[in-house]
Amino acid sequence: MRRAWPHRLLLLIYLALVVAGTMIHDPLVLCGAALVVILSAGTGVGSLVKRAILAALPFVLAVSLGYLVVARHQLDQAGAVLVPLNLRVLLLTLLAFRILPRINLQQALGFSRTLRFVLILATSQVLTFRRLFTDFQQALAARSARRIGLLAALRHGAATSAWFLARAEHDATEMTQALEARGYFLDHT
Amino acid sequence: MHIPDGFISPVVYGPAFGLAGVLWTAGLRKLQRALDPAAIPRLAVATASAFALMLISVPLPGGTTVHVSGVGMIAVLFGVWHGFLALSLVFLLQALMFGDGGITAFPVNALAVGLCGSLAAVTVFRLLKNRRLAPALFCAGWMGTVVPAVLVALVLGAQPLLGQAADGRPLYFPFGWEITMPAVVIPHLLVGIADGVLTVLAWRILASKETH
Repeated sequence: MRRAWPHRLLLLIYLALVVAGTMIHDPLVLCGAALVVILSAGTGVGSLVKRAILAALPFVLAVSLGYLVVARHQLDQAGAVLVPLNLRVLLLTLLAFRILPRINLQQALGFSRTLRFVLILATSQVLTFRRLFTDFQQALAARSARRIGLLAALRHGAATSAWFLARAEHDATEMTQALEARGYFLDHT
Repeated sequence: MHIPDGFISPVVYGPAFGLAGVLWTAGLRKLQRALDPAAIPRLAVATASAFALMLISVPLPGGTTVHVSGVGMIAVLFGVWHGFLALSLVFLLQALMFGDGGITAFPVNALAVGLCGSLAAVTVFRLLKNRRLAPALFCAGWMGTVVPAVLVALVLGAQPLLGQAADGRPLYFPFGWEITMPAVVIPHLLVGIADGVLTVLAWRILASKETH
């Protein structure tokens, strides 16, 4: 319990800052807040800014370019819409990359025993599945002399999906047996 | 859908968090009360499966690739509640652990993709499965992608109406339905086909493994 509260507090602060950030529309305030977050990163400024820009860029670029095309005859209005919007997205993405790595999700969301338990199991499985997915992709690339076509991609996708779903069933059974053996279900009845 | 923070107005994400919160609580209570001891491990592995399925990409003409959603597959195999909770957990992990999409888009995604996508997929599957299995699976995969796309397009297109300055300029996502509906829904009609084909093929592979 003592270990959990700093993570919960940090998550609450993050959520409060996100809510506040979505309600600010003044470009100067948004710019100032983004600068404060950037400067707070100390020596990690470059990495923070790079990660935030890379994460938000595809969506932001598509929306901004699209809006510039739609509002090409009213560039003043386009600027009044896009400048605060892009600054707000930048500020909120910077906040996410600045604060979230410091939060242990299992601790922060541990107010529900079931939720915490599911999160621990799911996170461990997600990390394993992600690694296995990369292995499968590399295996396909290594065995393909030419560019992978639609049919090959669909077959590979289907085989990968089936493998993950079969593995999921197997892992669920294994986990249940392990939990039963450790008396988890006795504690919860 | 990987929508960063800042595009969705508090008028939308606030109530969405409230509604999703009620449904998450109901879903978790349902799991706790379930007599099946595998309910919780099953949710965890359904989450991991949903996460893994969302990594699978299919090439499109023109050199681009699209990611399938796997919503139909997860919902048909695990049911609506497990699908909703598993996909919600995926979006939570993506937003808070991997930086994919914002926390303000999380409840919208959970409701549109997790709940409505799963519900549409399972409903269509149940209606069609007694006639022929393959079309039922294909339609479940397709609906699990297209229904959430329509809902997300509706939510995004409503932003200029719900969040605007005194002079009428949009404060959040700036495009209305006339742009979001074709821009979001048309690509997902194609992604839905890939999702449908994948659902059928994956089901066949699983079925052939079970018979051996």
